[in-house]
Amino acid sequence: MSDSASDPRRLRLNAALDGELDAENALAFERELAADPALAAEYREREAVRDGVRRHAPREPAPDALVGRVLALVAEPSADVVPLAPRARASSHARRLPLAASFAALGFVAGVALMSLRAPGASEGVASGLVSEFARAAVAGQPFDVASSDRHTVKPWLAGRSTVSADIVDLAPQGFPLAGGRIAMVDSVPAPTLVYRHNEHLVAVTELPLTLAGARAANGIETVDGFHVARWSDANLGYVAVSDMDERTLAEFVAAFREAGKPGAAGKAD
Amino acid sequence: MTPASPLAAARFRAIVPPLLDDAYSLAKWLCRDADDAQDIVQEAAVRALTALETTAVDRPKPWFLAIVRNSAITWMARNRRKEEAFAGGLGELEDLQSAEADAAPDPEATLIAVEDGARLRRAMAALPAPLLEILVMRDVNGLSYRDIADAAGMPIGTVMSRLARARGALVRSMKAEP
Repeated sequence: MSDSASDPRRLRLNAALDGELDAENALAFERELAADPALAAEYREREAVRDGVRRHAPREPAPDALVGRVLALVAEPSADVVPLAPRARASSHARRLPLAASFAALGFVAGVALMSLRAPGASEGVASGLVSEFARAAVAGQPFDVASSDRHTVKPWLAGRSTVSADIVDLAPQGFPLAGGRIAMVDSVPAPTLVYRHNEHLVAVTELPLTLAGARAANGIETVDGFHVARWSDANLGYVAVSDMDERTLAEFVAAFREAGKPGAAGKAD
Repeated sequence: MTPASPLAAARFRAIVPPLLDDAYSLAKWLCRDADDAQDIVQEAAVRALTALETTAVDRPKPWFLAIVRNSAITWMARNRRKEEAFAGGLGELEDLQSAEADAAPDPEATLIAVEDGARLRRAMAALPAPLLEILVMRDVNGLSYRDIADAAGMPIGTVMSRLARARGALVRSMKAEP
């Protein structure tokens, strides 16, 4: 065998060792190997070296300190709460709207009759994006980024991550205790989302400024991909509540939420 | 550094953490120092995060290991004396080529010697950097020839001949008297 490393036969020998030959060349190589003892001997010694490298120079685990430093590059800013593990936010159609504005007093009288919703275009995009976030969060077993039933904990956490200072209503007396908060990504912009619990069910309320395409929709409840979506708005914000509760319970929740949010209502956080 | 956008951060979390063992192992072989390897991988991660602002990545492993490799080269050029720098060693390649005149294959001798892990690792560390990096990407990181060619930015033919030389050099080294 030639001594040059670029000898085609030697290159093929290595390619065979690495499983890089196609079927035809692999067969040809097998035949060559059987007919040429010197080639077979070289194959075996290179195979021994390959196996030795794999056994004695294995991949090493990255030190914990390094892993920590790398993960810190994409860590959420810390707050005085226990953050849950970062959640992948890759949903492509959950990114439609920018968000600004402040969560001012929830206006309007509660108990508005909820009617069937026919919101076209951008509005439907917002709803389906938030539904897919809700579904993904539920499947991942992590429906919120900050787990707390204390609105005085959730409020600053959300405030530190969005441009909205969210007033958070206490609906525990009505049977909807606060479970936590998270940020829904709408068009790559963070939108504060409150997660309430009702028995085994969750409802996530996302707040959107009315200046955004798709934020305003007719009041009502619709079904998107098997989840119920309630929409309403007040003078300042549009609200999208996504839930796996039944329609009637969701309507009760919306009524309670809007009632509690009225200026001067007992359940409002400062 | 400005904070990463949510999209880049999401891409980063999906791509980089699972590759840190590979990245660290490659960096450590290239710079031959555990602490320096951590700095190199950290720097590579920062570069990767910046790139992910504008890039969606198809094949994460060769993509990130290419960044690690480049970070190692830059790091070595900045922090090591020139003769130790990673980019050097091409002269050694020529010497190696002329030394390719192998003795007749004697697999038994090699088979025994490769059981000596410390000796094998020393032999690897003595390889010229351009050969070592290919060997490590193949047998430590488990990249295919195509992925190595991408990660190292060279044609597959070069990858193949360097890998053949690297293994040939290890065989000779393991057969020599210890």
